[in-house]
Amino acid sequence: MNQQKIDFSEISTGYEFEPSEIRLNSEAVTAYLNAVEGDKSIYEQDKVIPPMAISALAMAALAGRLTMPPGAIHVSQDLQFLSRVSIDETLTSHARVNRKMERGKFNMLTIGVRVVNKKQTTVLTGETSFILPFS
Amino acid sequence: MSLKLKELNVGTSLPELKRRVTQEHINLYADASGDHNPIHIDPEFAKNTPLGGTVAHGMLILAYISEFMTENFRQDWLTSGNLSARFKGAAYPEDTVTVSGKIASIETQGDYAIINCEVICQNQKNEPVIICSTKVRVKTDEDSS
Repeated sequence: MNQQKIDFSEISTGYEFEPSEIRLNSEAVTAYLNAVEGDKSIYEQDKVIPPMAISALAMAALAGRLTMPPGAIHVSQDLQFLSRVSIDETLTSHARVNRKMERGKFNMLTIGVRVVNKKQTTVLTGETSFILPFS
Repeated sequence: MSLKLKELNVGTSLPELKRRVTQEHINLYADASGDHNPIHIDPEFAKNTPLGGTVAHGMLILAYISEFMTENFRQDWLTSGNLSARFKGAAYPEDTVTVSGKIASIETQGDYAIINCEVICQNQKNEPVIICSTKVRVKTDEDSS
């Protein structure tokens, strides 16, 4: 992914990241299912994408937008799957800083993610939280 | 397999899912997700960190929980699944993790039942790796398919 990265220290609550495009073809879905040892028949039957594959790519897109200090720990993950996504659909992931707080020697960062299809229908939402040491 | 709504009651245990975590699968996940953080894929780097070695991506282990829910609720999970997970510990290569869960509550909303489950993923020492609440919507007038 060729894009601008922003450092953790430069963001604050309410910051919105540049949207990222996500597209999964059948090879990418197969690679994902091989990695997680998922039951391919469920997805192949209807040519749908495992929603966790979408969330994994949304997380990867976020990682491509944000530089975090070494020692960042992913502490929680909320996800809502709202609609089926077909193979080769083009999706767009939107991410926003929902909370950034200091807690003792650490920062807590919570980022909300919303993935939409071409019709702007939301197919997946999520919230991911990290604990980060002061750097 | 998939469960039928009439088989479900509060307290019903769901069939478990077991996975052996391997470095090969971690590497495959790194490629599939684009997350090549060295803590997951570089043993030389990882052995000098507090974790002492490479660990699986949290999202890989969370994917096992989603697979567990997919096995039990099939398309209903894929189109209406909802999860809230807390990462409690790391999963290392050669760990065997088990995902288990039970029905915590069932709410009726019109033609649908909202099934809430408490799900845990533990390693072979019964140490929690992820604790998770899940929610799935199932039509009440037909079996989960």
